[in-house]
Amino acid sequence: MISLPVVLAVAALLFGVGVYGVLGQTNTIMIIMGVELMLGAAMLNVVGFLRYSHPHATSGDFFVLVLMTLMALEGAVGFALVVSVFRSRRTSEADDLTELSG
Amino acid sequence: MSDLATAIVFWPAVGLMLAAAVFVFITSSMARAGLLLLASLAIEGLVFLALGSRFLGFLQLLMMSGEMVIMVFFMVMFMPDPGGLMGMDMTHDKRRSATVAVAVTAALGLVAVLTDWPARVVGRGAPDVRAIGFEVMGRSMISFLFAGMTILLAMVGGVLLAKHGGRFGLPAAGDEQSGEHSPPEERS
Repeated sequence: MISLPVVLAVAALLFGVGVYGVLGQTNTIMIIMGVELMLGAAMLNVVGFLRYSHPHATSGDFFVLVLMTLMALEGAVGFALVVSVFRSRRTSEADDLTELSG
Repeated sequence: MSDLATAIVFWPAVGLMLAAAVFVFITSSMARAGLLLLASLAIEGLVFLALGSRFLGFLQLLMMSGEMVIMVFFMVMFMPDPGGLMGMDMTHDKRRSATVAVAVTAALGLVAVLTDWPARVVGRGAPDVRAIGFEVMGRSMISFLFAGMTILLAMVGGVLLAKHGGRFGLPAAGDEQSGEHSPPEERS
């Protein structure tokens, strides 16, 4: 049986990769991809805790469903904002977006 | 699933998931990055399966397949070089980003390894997250419905306000008033 600290450490690695993506990428869509990886790590944490604290219960899967919905929403709203910014600025590079107006 | 079968599925899946996640930010092609992210999150479904969550494992595979394919379309639409043939650099502050990422990973990893997690598993009869489910679906349902509607309104409002031209759209040609501050009936 895989122990809980191992699952949490794997999730920490995945979260770290997501953090690198969010901080190091210039394109807005790539930043969204980093956030997706961070949410994936959070899901892995929740599944790990559920399996090790309540291995016989399935009702806790509800929390992972909420996280999956959050991932889809984050993508939908993020893409809507990218479309909106691209219409006015003709770019999706985060480095070019230095002003709130215009 | 036996311990051996779990290990046979878990460790390769973890390796592939992390490798695909790293290559998302290494490759210069946005299309490849989207497909690698799809691979990473779909393989995470295999990790869920190895941990005994069959429902969540298959759901993860289905959800991520749909979502990531849509993401690849957006990348191809918005990137000047989606195929990565021009060798564009899409990164900045690589060293500082890597430093922060390593620090965050180390901190979380230390918490995971050094914390004294309880060894026993909660018994079948003990109160569990099922109680939270009954609370959510019972007397607190109105509160959660209200919170959900508020979040939905915030998302719709945020996207509308971020639209080019604001809430009322762009002003008509020859119109002196800005479309941002006047509703359509006042502009005519």
